[in-house]
Order: sequence, then C-alpha cells, then structure tokens
Amino acid sequence: MSRNFTPDKILIDQLLLNDTEAFEELYHRHCYPLYNYCNEKLNSPADARAIVRDIFIGLWEKRQTLPVDFSVSLHLYQEVRKAVVLCVNQKLEENKDLLSIQTQIIPGFAVVNLQQAKQPVRKSSSEIQYINSLTPGRVHKNHWWNYNPTGITTKVIKHMLQRAFNLL
Amino acid sequence: MTTKTLYNKTGRYICGASMPAETRQIQTWLSCTKHNKAFVPEDEKAKVESLILDQVKAQTAYPLFYPKAEEPWWQKITAMF
Repeated sequence: MSRNFTPDKILIDQLLLNDTEAFEELYHRHCYPLYNYCNEKLNSPADARAIVRDIFIGLWEKRQTLPVDFSVSLHLYQEVRKAVVLCVNQKLEENKDLLSIQTQIIPGFAVVNLQQAKQPVRKSSSEIQYINSLTPGRVHKNHWWNYNPTGITTKVIKHMLQRAFNLL
Repeated sequence: MTTKTLYNKTGRYICGASMPAETRQIQTWLSCTKHNKAFVPEDEKAKVESLILDQVKAQTAYPLFYPKAEEPWWQKITAMF
C-alpha cells in the first residue's frame, strides 16, 4: 500500500542519498503487482518471490548508477518480463516442475490464449459504476474543460476576432 | 508445443537469436494477463511484501542505512519554514 504521493522520480533521486524510506516507498508501490504477475505466469509463489526479490536487490545496488531519465515502472516492467522467461528456461534446463509447465504454462502459448492479449480491456458494469462513484463529474459531463463561468461561447469569440480584424 | 520446443524457444529468445515470429509469440504471452478478480486481503498482501523485503534486507547492505539517522533539531525547524 502506498504511503505518500511523492512522484517516483523524486524517490529515485532520494535513492542516491541512500534513503531507505524512499526505497521502501517504491517497493510498496510496485511489489505486489510484480509478485502477482510472476505468480500468474509461473504458477509458483516461491519463484515469484525470488524474482521480485532479485529485481529490488538489483535496483538498490544500482542506485548510484541509474540514468538521469530513469523510469522505475519501465525498468521493473522490462526486468520482470526478462526474469519470467529466464525462470521458465532455467526450470526446463533443470527438468524442474515439468508437469506444471506442461499443464499451466504451455497452454498459454496457444493461439486462442494469445489472442486475449490483443483484445482491448473491457471494464465490467460494476467497475464502471465504481469509477463513476469516485468521480461523480464524469456522469454529468461536468469536466473542467466545460467550466465556463463567463458564458462566452466560441461563436462570440469568433465574432469578436472578426471585428478586430475588420478594424485592423 | 512440447517442453523441449519451449526450452529451445526461450533459449533463443534470451540469446536474442529468435525468429521474429517467436519473439512476437513470447512477448504476446508475457503481455497476456488474465484479469484476476480474486480478492486478496490487505494483510495477506502485506505479509508477502514484508517477506520479500526481509529477504532484500538480508541480501544487501541495506540494513547499514537503516534506520535513517535522525535529523538535527535545527533542520527540523528550518523544514517548517
């Protein structure tokens, strides 16, 4: 669970100063989604934990050499994908968990299952209702860009501009 | 697909020697996430998080910087302004 609203970039800058609080904040923001992703792909909580642990150890150890335009989420996304493929390869090399690979991982490579990745994410009606309840303005089109206290319309602006050009 | 085929495919992918179709297949598999609606209680999430964080602390020089040194009183006062 996130504890503050400091942007990731600032937390990364604080990592340079060996700030463990910043590291923990980053960790708490990204840990569980990464763990969940790995667990879903590998069906192994132990492997998922090991991958997440290694990724964060790498982040902590490389903190002094991170580039200026470093994006944590992009880095974690790339690292977790690389680690998942490496883990599957390693398991196959060691002939470990072959049954679970055959029954749970290999079916994921079938064309039917891969097509799911190309489909747009559709939210259920309950999710949409929940989002609308968080931002009630969405329902009534009460967006900030519709905020117009002076009542000046685009038609009026056009007319005023035309008059100004005529005067010139 | 057999386990041997998958092993060869992932091996080629890791070495960067896979065919474009294979790369696309593996990347699509990596991108394909089921929308898991199962509710996970917060305490269970916290348990997993703390378990991994303890392992991170154990394997790095992280505890050397922990807990953070307390700021001197004059820095606390200047931070108020």
